[in-house]
Amino acid sequence: MDELEQWRIQLQQWSRQGAEWFHQMPETQLYAAIAVVFVTTFFLLSIRLFKRTKSNTVVLTGLSGSGKTTLFYQLQDGSSHLGTVTSMDPNEGTFVLHSEIAKKGKIKPVHVVDVPGHSRLRPKLDEFLPQAAGIVFVVDALEFLPNCRAASEYLYDILTKSSVVKKKIPVLILCNKTDKVTAHTKEFIRKQLEKEIEKFRASRSAISAADVVNEFTLGVPGEAFGFSQCHNKVTVADASGLTGEISQLEEFIREYVKP
Amino acid sequence: MLEQLLIFTRGGLILWTCKELGNALKGSPIDTLIRSCLLEERSGAASYNYDAPGAAYTLKWTFHNELGLVFVAVYQRILHLLYVDDLLAMLKREFSVIYDPKRTAYDDFDETFRQLRMEAEARAEELKKSKPVAKPVNNSKKQGQVQKVGFEGGNKKKGGSGPGSDGGDGNGRKMENGHANGNTDETKVALVANGKENASSNIGAFDVNKLQKLRAKGGKKTDTVVNKGSKVDPNKKITKKNRVWDVSPTESKLDFTDPADQNGDENAVIVAADEGESMMDKEEIVSSESETEEDEEMEKDSKMETKKKGWFSAMFQSIAGKANLEKADLEPALKALKDRLMTKNVAEEIAEKLCESVAASLEGKKLASFTRVSSTVQAAMEEALVRILTPRRSIDILRDVHAAKEQRKPYVVVFVGVNGVGKSTNLAKVAYWLLQHNVSVMMAACDTFRSGAVEQLRTHARRLQIPIFEKGYEKDPAIVAKEAIQEATRNGSDVVLVDTAGRMQDNEPLMRALSKLVNLNNPDLVLFVGEALVGNDAVDQLSKFNQKLADLSTSPKPQLIDGILLTKFDTIDDKVGAALSMVYISGAPVMFVGCGQSYTDLKKLNVKSIVKTLLK
Ligand SMILES: Nc1nc2c(ncn2[C@@H]2O[C@H](COP(=O)(O)OP(=O)(O)OP(=O)(O)O)[C@@H](O)[C@H]2O)c(=O)[nH]1
Ligand SMILES: [Mg+2]
Repeated sequence: MDELEQWRIQLQQWSRQGAEWFHQMPETQLYAAIAVVFVTTFFLLSIRLFKRTKSNTVVLTGLSGSGKTTLFYQLQDGSSHLGTVTSMDPNEGTFVLHSEIAKKGKIKPVHVVDVPGHSRLRPKLDEFLPQAAGIVFVVDALEFLPNCRAASEYLYDILTKSSVVKKKIPVLILCNKTDKVTAHTKEFIRKQLEKEIEKFRASRSAISAADVVNEFTLGVPGEAFGFSQCHNKVTVADASGLTGEISQLEEFIREYVKP
Repeated sequence: MLEQLLIFTRGGLILWTCKELGNALKGSPIDTLIRSCLLEERSGAASYNYDAPGAAYTLKWTFHNELGLVFVAVYQRILHLLYVDDLLAMLKREFSVIYDPKRTAYDDFDETFRQLRMEAEARAEELKKSKPVAKPVNNSKKQGQVQKVGFEGGNKKKGGSGPGSDGGDGNGRKMENGHANGNTDETKVALVANGKENASSNIGAFDVNKLQKLRAKGGKKTDTVVNKGSKVDPNKKITKKNRVWDVSPTESKLDFTDPADQNGDENAVIVAADEGESMMDKEEIVSSESETEEDEEMEKDSKMETKKKGWFSAMFQSIAGKANLEKADLEPALKALKDRLMTKNVAEEIAEKLCESVAASLEGKKLASFTRVSSTVQAAMEEALVRILTPRRSIDILRDVHAAKEQRKPYVVVFVGVNGVGKSTNLAKVAYWLLQHNVSVMMAACDTFRSGAVEQLRTHARRLQIPIFEKGYEKDPAIVAKEAIQEATRNGSDVVLVDTAGRMQDNEPLMRALSKLVNLNNPDLVLFVGEALVGNDAVDQLSKFNQKLADLSTSPKPQLIDGILLTKFDTIDDKVGAALSMVYISGAPVMFVGCGQSYTDLKKLNVKSIVKTLLK
């Protein structure tokens, strides 16, 4: 503890010297310095505020194995590289879409986030939703039926999040893996999802009394649920992350993050 | 022979695979490893076993936390490759040199890998030749597990005495993963791993000590790899090596089970325990937040860290951002955290595993400026806890009830648990809750064992005005349940709540009866009712229930515990650890929390507040 004592004495000395030096300063210089500090902080703050109002974030979400990471790298590099495994952390990148690289002129880059689908990692989604300009909900069109209920539940949770409802963040339901002939059509998938969500609507409104917080309810009471009833725009599209047919996804992104 | 070697990012992009090996893997071992081991906070384990039709793989892995990379090796389980850990460590070192986050193709790594593998194989070969002494190794008290593997040679069951040590729920995840093999539970994974390695060392006739010496001599190169950048005394070196990379046959096992064997660190660990304890007490009085205390803690941490370094250098490091976190840096903070969890009634075994997993996820990471080791560790632990407690399956029972209704089948819930935890009371609460949501409920009195049980249930039924199905005592509960379900189908009840006799997890005949009940009736939900008061016993109870349900089942896909109902939650204050222990060991979510005497006292678990309480 001797050491500590020594240091304390040393520190006291330093602070005394600092104070003296401060007093010797001419006043005008002091004011100028303070003014500069203020102006810069104000400037920085306003930049941040400005940035926040115009988000360029697109969030890829969906069940594990639906192909989000594959799509992410298709968007970024135009290739799915050596393949993917289940993600443990989100992938994030701010880039000009690969298909736009050849284009001339200055293009605004997109901030794309691929949030893992594993249910244990779901809480991560909440970190990114508030800043999203658009949400892409990726569905595996190949293995759709076995995962239908799980996918609907996840989608239901997203569509009822306050951050999504309040800001009316547009959602694209992207039916992936349509390169395979056995893949379901997007119309079929939309209908099934609507049907399943209808059921969740019934059970969830019951549960909310028991402490699970779904901040908002979906659809119109007394009517069968359809995505058209959502306050935010919900559209459906297909894609194939593996073969790189992602034009509809890119259209969606560019609709909400203007180049 | 290796089957496959993979380097990928934590984001999930494969950066490099060994093309030479090129064997198509059967099933999807890598994804299963990630989903049911690495993401379940079981990455502290030594290896993971994966079974698919026609294949039995063992997987080993190592992380590069700073770069966010994962290295995984897959090999046939029967081969007992000894050089895998070695190889992974070398791979990690070499690859981290050329890694660039912007780059996605690493074809040039093929050549490097070929050399590394040759070196590793040669070293392993050398070891094998030089050791023809057979000497059974039985120092792990947890070896009871080993029998499962089928290598019995020399592995005596040496008192599987540690709480829960031979009750790994094993098949807990079988159903969920479909093809995952039973050994998902870390206990088992680790143990099986150890067991296997032991078995192999018996068969292959190794002598532990000599092997160790030999490694020290012949394997110089490995050692430098392992200890790159660390300047600790030799004892620590060994510790570190064991825990991290080196899961060579014998050493790791000693470490995991018996810290006292690490001669050097013993004292430090004990000291840490003591100080941690007292700090906890203080904190409870002063109620957490006070900064000075944490500073104190940090000071203590650093003191324990290294006696050579003064507190100033530690402080300086915390400001300047330290190079890379090492195991030794994390140890004190982890120890304190483990003690804190244990004061919250988390089972020791679970706290230990969690800490190992958190350590595995932090080691090698850079400490951000102005952060302390302890707060970094705490943040990582918080994330891990949220992850564990977030349900993996849907806990929306009403949704499932409606689904069953569509198929014109009653939804069957079986309540199981040990004696006196409040099964019947909470069954009534669940019934009340269901009634409130316009679900028609029927009770089935299948506790035909304890006298008075049927009457107790009848009282609840009368108060709630619910039909009850009863057949008195002395009847086979499995049959009673079956008849109850038939009755419910006939009269159109939506849900059947089956009350069963409380039973101790070691009571073989009663467990057999329970297994029969579950098998015969295929309930939609097996709900384990457990007391929130329980501490270390939670692990034993749940793992044994699952074990028995799995073992005594005749079907290839036995039904295990699907969910947990925690009772007496109002009586435990901040000792919420049982929730964590139970969820971790079984993988099943907490679906209800009972918190009082009246019918309305049933809640859902609030994950956020539990995590907060646990870390407070
Ligand atoms: N046939 C086909 N397979 C695809 C397509 N897109 C992805 N896949 C495959 O689907 C599997 C999962 O893809 P990922 O991109 O890793 O899935 P993910 O959504 O990121 O999954 P998580 O990270 O676990 O959330 C991989 O084996 C891909 O090869 C596609 O368009 N067609
Ligand atoms: Mg992914």
